[in-house]
Amino acid sequence: MEKMARVTTALGGNTITGRTMFCHLDAPANAISVCRDAAQVVVAGRNIFKIYSIDEDQFVEKLNLRVGRKPSLNFSCADVVWHQMDENLLATAATNGVVVTWNLGKPSRNKQDQLFTEHKRTVNKVCFHPTEVYMLLSGSQDGYMKCFDLRKKDSVSTFSGQSESVRDVQFSIRDYFTFAATFENGNVQLWDIRRPDRYERMFTAHNGPVFCCDWHLEDRGWLATGGRDKMVKVWDMNTNRAKEIYCVQTIASVARVKWRPECKHHIATCSMMVDHNIYVWDVRRPFIPSAMFEEHKDVTTGIVWRHLHDPYFLLSGSKDSTLYQHIFKDASQPIDRANPEGLCYSLFGDLAFAAKESLISSDSNRKPYIGDRRHPIFFKRKLDPTEQFEYISSSSALSVFETDLESGSMDWFVRTAKQYVLAGRPLAELCDHNAKVAKELDRDQVAQTWTMLRIIYSSPGTVPSANLNHSLGKGSTSLPLMNSFNLKDIPPGIGNESRLERSKGESRSENILMDSSSTLINNDENEETEGSDVPADYLLGDVEGDEDELYMMDHENPHAEEQEYILPQEAFPLRHEIVDNPSALDHLQDKADSPHVSGNEAETVSLTPVESFSLISISHSLYENRLPPDFFSPIVRDMLLFYAEQGDVQMAVSVLIVLGDRIKKEIDEQTQEHWYTSYIDLLQRFQLWNISNEVIKLSTCRAINCLNQASTTLHINCSNCKRPMSNKGWICDRCRQCASMCAVCHHVVKGLFVWCQGCSHGGHLQHIMKWLETSSHCPAGCGHLCEYT
Amino acid sequence: MDFGEVPMKPEMMAAAYGSLKYSFHFYTHSGSVWRVTWAHPEFGQVLASCSFDRTAVVWEEIVGESNDKLRGQSHWVKRTTLVDSRTSVTDVKFAPKHMGLMLATCSADGVVRIYEAPDVMNLSQWSLQHEISCKLSCSCISWNPSSSRAHSPMIAVGSDDNSPNILAKVQIYEYNENTRKYAKAETLMTVTDPVHDIAFAPNLGRSFHILAVATKDVRIFTLKPVRKELTTSGGLTKFEIQIVAQFDNHNSQVWRVSWNITGTVLASSGDDGCVRLWKANYMDNWKCTGILKGNGSPVSGSSQQGMFNASLGSANTSLQNSLNGSAAGRYFFPPLDSPRAGSRWSSYAQLLPPPPLIEHSCDADTANLQYPHPSRRYISQPLNLLPENEGV
Repeated sequence: MEKMARVTTALGGNTITGRTMFCHLDAPANAISVCRDAAQVVVAGRNIFKIYSIDEDQFVEKLNLRVGRKPSLNFSCADVVWHQMDENLLATAATNGVVVTWNLGKPSRNKQDQLFTEHKRTVNKVCFHPTEVYMLLSGSQDGYMKCFDLRKKDSVSTFSGQSESVRDVQFSIRDYFTFAATFENGNVQLWDIRRPDRYERMFTAHNGPVFCCDWHLEDRGWLATGGRDKMVKVWDMNTNRAKEIYCVQTIASVARVKWRPECKHHIATCSMMVDHNIYVWDVRRPFIPSAMFEEHKDVTTGIVWRHLHDPYFLLSGSKDSTLYQHIFKDASQPIDRANPEGLCYSLFGDLAFAAKESLISSDSNRKPYIGDRRHPIFFKRKLDPTEQFEYISSSSALSVFETDLESGSMDWFVRTAKQYVLAGRPLAELCDHNAKVAKELDRDQVAQTWTMLRIIYSSPGTVPSANLNHSLGKGSTSLPLMNSFNLKDIPPGIGNESRLERSKGESRSENILMDSSSTLINNDENEETEGSDVPADYLLGDVEGDEDELYMMDHENPHAEEQEYILPQEAFPLRHEIVDNPSALDHLQDKADSPHVSGNEAETVSLTPVESFSLISISHSLYENRLPPDFFSPIVRDMLLFYAEQGDVQMAVSVLIVLGDRIKKEIDEQTQEHWYTSYIDLLQRFQLWNISNEVIKLSTCRAINCLNQASTTLHINCSNCKRPMSNKGWICDRCRQCASMCAVCHHVVKGLFVWCQGCSHGGHLQHIMKWLETSSHCPAGCGHLCEYT
Repeated sequence: MDFGEVPMKPEMMAAAYGSLKYSFHFYTHSGSVWRVTWAHPEFGQVLASCSFDRTAVVWEEIVGESNDKLRGQSHWVKRTTLVDSRTSVTDVKFAPKHMGLMLATCSADGVVRIYEAPDVMNLSQWSLQHEISCKLSCSCISWNPSSSRAHSPMIAVGSDDNSPNILAKVQIYEYNENTRKYAKAETLMTVTDPVHDIAFAPNLGRSFHILAVATKDVRIFTLKPVRKELTTSGGLTKFEIQIVAQFDNHNSQVWRVSWNITGTVLASSGDDGCVRLWKANYMDNWKCTGILKGNGSPVSGSSQQGMFNASLGSANTSLQNSLNGSAAGRYFFPPLDSPRAGSRWSSYAQLLPPPPLIEHSCDADTANLQYPHPSRRYISQPLNLLPENEGV
């Protein structure tokens, strides 16, 4: 409220109203200045010198000061300033070195008042004394500053900066006698108007020219300077040495700076090239402007606040020949768009989170837990102790949330990748092993899948021929397994069992049921179903007379092995046991001990009775005929697709490799390739190079296979003559000797060659290792003490 | 792995994971740095940053050679400055690895620029390959990371344009092999509020794409490519776009979204100062699996807070793991390395008194976590967590 009141009084009852508006000028503007009453603005340029009145919603041309028939260079203005005490008094700095004053009160058309032709080169800046009516200061390219008394014909005093060209001069608002001058060599000088012989103080403010300066409006002794080094610096001149208190980084060389009225920390800038925008900065937030005016299409040359006590209206002139009035309300505010937060997942599932402190410490008075050692690390920007405005604080806190090690978010992936066996063993063993790995990592669903795959694909034909009764035993073992497919038994940990999985599980169990029951069929029935394509339901229906295969399954389980299947909990240890067994053969033996379907007994007996023999053979053929692994292919394919869609490309690829040709044709090449590349990339992100190479090697995609075929050439030099070897043969072309001889056995080493980096002798890995076990000297007899680590 | 920083100072911190050591900072931009992003490690330690000062800069970490003083020490070298933009560069992202070393930037004037370093060994040469004009102020971009040949290169662009006449704020551009240009494939018409961040999930063999959008809420879209007809082959892919989740739990602007490496967990952060974790269950129902707050204070509001007592937290974690098989959303702060951290940059930073452990919270409807007894709570807690390591 107080501030508002102050504004009104300051404006003398005239509240400023208006909107963002502009008018076209005839020519590019070089400088603008505003009249004390905030109702008129003067625009000066090389070819323009006009006064506009600022109306409610438009600029109206009031007066053209360029009069006279012959164009004079005196009209070509580099700078213009309107006296803040006398509404009729204007001064311009001409490019020909003339300083002109204009009296608007003159009755004639030509308002030119006085002409000072003292500077030898362009005058860059003119400045009226803030309180003294007749005092005018000028700064010129020739390196001199001159003070004029408008009542006299000549300058009162001349100040020689003894630096380079003067770019700006500004009377201090606080000290009557002081003015600041900025120079092209980066210096800022403070002068006492009474002492033209020597500056009071000089300091280097910028790297390169200092184009502008501005005293703070509330007499704080703050001076803002802007330079070609793209910086705006705020200096505290109260102390003996000018102290830099703020530094604002802009994106182009700074042409003008103007403190914003009524806002202690705000300053408006425009730039000399490249950047056409006008920025209003909060000097405490130095890298992002708090407001931005983007209207101009060319370099902005002059900015001025419309009224000394009004912070909302800014006028600007530009090389694009426009004069703008900007309203703060319409400014774009980059800070609003600035993202106050950053968030990122790491490879292993840690989460880094950076946020503005005000966002996360809203309730900072909370008591911390005692004895807790885990807490975030805070990166905190040191705040200026005088700082009290919380809103401006741009400091942020960075915290990292770690996944705890036990459940280590991506740990399972690495361990699975390392422990899976994908080739080199029979399928059943691979599946069992992988199921076990998955089980150990508490990935029950995956373990189930592997177990199911083993059951589906390790048909009797592929199992060693030793067990004739395998199909029988198979039937018995798959019964308990089947139980685990029952949905009720899915352990509560597996939350994301899919619909797909369910349906698959169902269909699977019925198929296996069929498998197991097939032995029954043989006993009870004839071979009516053999070789036919009758769906499984029919078959089961025939056998049990039960319509619902799900129920039937439940019925049958207790029927088969009662004490083990009533309680789902008990299914766990059993399945565990099976899974833990490395091979199908072993648990076959286990099962043989069970009192029910006695595999062993059947085997011993089966030697003689014809009936039993036929039973086995028939069941064998039944199995082969009715349940070709192809039967499951669509289901397995769906399963793989499911895993891929779920983001577990590891599973998809592993199964793909383990099953190999059994499933390969079901999935189109492109998808396979996609999976492979994804998985390989993932492995490489975890730096599992060996595994990724193994996957590449095992893949059947040609595009993948060739991945590790690139740049595998080794260039070697002959160990005798140190020349490059040709790429064929083991004998060096030049010295006619075998190049890579084993120092132990004196044969050419074809394969792994190990050599001492000290004496460069070497040989077969095995030989060298063996040699160095007993001797520490080089086997070649060179006397070097080789070491194998 | 971009660290996405707050607009604070034009300096960049490269934080080494694990010890979280503050390793470097350098002033180079003359405006706020909006974002930094890592290139694929295959290309070396390469960072790109973009700034208010209208430039994007590519950095490379060099391990000191020859010079004795620098031996073994690494330092960052500015490799190139991309100065094509006329306005603030708001986002920068490296293309997926299989496309080579490519970089996309977007700027406030609505231009997306795609650069390529033809020679991956020479990071100082980047050529401007494409300029896409989006006609609305861009705030964020995301590459589709899919490496499948079936998916052509694709970029999603989000806008924070406030102008009322532009409604759809997310556009998706796809590379067309025939014209060798990027063309607009889709526009997400449903997103009409300013978009602050956008992120494709890592693809990992999926046939469809998942896109997370941070606007006034968190949204997750799936984009299923519709099979190309033979007649239109070579044309743009059509997508079946579905919104699969939309959460306004932040009750405020959402500023950032980030996927985990497998694209199964989404983290989002909003003006409420919280990080929320989202995960889908097998029904494709996305749910909140955790809320993390930077200062460790309890999350207020709704029924979903559950405080992990600090002293109990770690001990119980393993127990719960063994019971549930897995856990998500349990994050702990790293142990504080105070002596080193403090002395290292005492001039610049100061450490705050240790705030306590972060809370853990679960889905609103699952469990009441105010248990007097740690042993009891897990018995009565049915499956409140979506398993993290299952089906991921």
